[in-house]
Amino acid sequence: MDCGNGARARQHVFLLPEYLKDASKKMKSGLMFVKLVNPCSGEGTIYLFNMCLQQLFEIKIFKEKHHSWFINQSVQSGGLLHFATPMDPLFLLLHYLRKADKEGKFQPLEQVVVDDMFPNCILLLKLPDLEKLLRHVTEEKEIDKKKYYKYSKEKTIKWLEKKVHQTVSALKTNNVNVGARVQATAFFSGDQVSSDKEEDYIRYAHGLISDYIPKELSDDLSKYLKLPKPSASLPNPPSKVAAQRQKRGK
Amino acid sequence: MESSDEAAVEKCRIHLRPGTLRDAAHATLHLLPCEVLVIGPAPVERFFTPAIRQGPDGLEVSFRGRRLRGEEVVLPPGLEGYVMVMEEKGEVLLGKDFSEGSSKLREQQELAAPPEALERDFDQFIRATASFSRFTLWGLETIPGPDAKVRGALTWPSLAAAIHAQVPED
Repeated sequence: MDCGNGARARQHVFLLPEYLKDASKKMKSGLMFVKLVNPCSGEGTIYLFNMCLQQLFEIKIFKEKHHSWFINQSVQSGGLLHFATPMDPLFLLLHYLRKADKEGKFQPLEQVVVDDMFPNCILLLKLPDLEKLLRHVTEEKEIDKKKYYKYSKEKTIKWLEKKVHQTVSALKTNNVNVGARVQATAFFSGDQVSSDKEEDYIRYAHGLISDYIPKELSDDLSKYLKLPKPSASLPNPPSKVAAQRQKRGK
Repeated sequence: MESSDEAAVEKCRIHLRPGTLRDAAHATLHLLPCEVLVIGPAPVERFFTPAIRQGPDGLEVSFRGRRLRGEEVVLPPGLEGYVMVMEEKGEVLLGKDFSEGSSKLREQQELAAPPEALERDFDQFIRATASFSRFTLWGLETIPGPDAKVRGALTWPSLAAAIHAQVPED
């Protein structure tokens, strides 16, 4: 079987949406992994673009201690499982819109989405229906048939509230236990206690969405949703606190 | 895609060869409950596979003298599993996907975005070497069962779909 050169190289185990296989018939290129800013932590994170279908995917990694893969006639340490799932590009655009808002004026999108650290962010501008998406989180102006945008916190909070409710429905249909305060990252280490109060669902969904927005916005959303302040017995995981500190230090 | 590779991709793009998604042969995967600190060939078919037995409530095997109990995990519908490997820089590409002849290649590229705009000299490439729709999940002494963390992770795509679906406008 497959035990030639390939077996010596690091092997990555991925789960991809099935339709990428069919879509790949029309593609000779345009499926690519790039590093972009993580809208929550501000750090670099790998995303997958499909330039043919004009889609963005996020990559999440399942990692548990003491695991390895046997792949055909080879062994791969780590036992990692990578998930590529569709991502709403608005979370990433929001990162740049909030940054540009410090200048406090209407700007064309290509002046907003600029990044020395992650120049591949220009690929975001190639995604379809951006104008429609941006309506959820910005005020816009049109001068000489050119669109200018400005971040709107009020609109963004309302958009996030809809996201929360949409996620609550999915949590219910998927029968996810929502007792403990969880974030999408914690989903991959699965510490859940069972409970089924509406408020728990909203808090859980808020936690999931908070993995895609900065802490500040997450707190504003929490107030808007009238969620009680998290108790001191449930502090942020250390990794997250560190990431925020680092961001503030910049 | 972790640490070692990551440093190299600040600016570069890692292009996934689309053709390899279609041509990938089926692979047999086992997720072991222990860390083998090695990457490389292993005679799985000689030592591991023939020792797998169907026990009263699941699969049984032993590895390094320890008893493992396992079960088949089928991927959720709509997902396809792939094993991917980074291509070495300047690797000579063999195999039918890349020997098709460049004129035909260029013709087909018209269908997608112009490649010269997306692929740059310093970019890297990754290819699918195998695909799978199920794997065997092993636990030490006991069957991992429905509470296994990897099973929880497998429900992530359906939840992610809801988080990232577009919301209706007012």
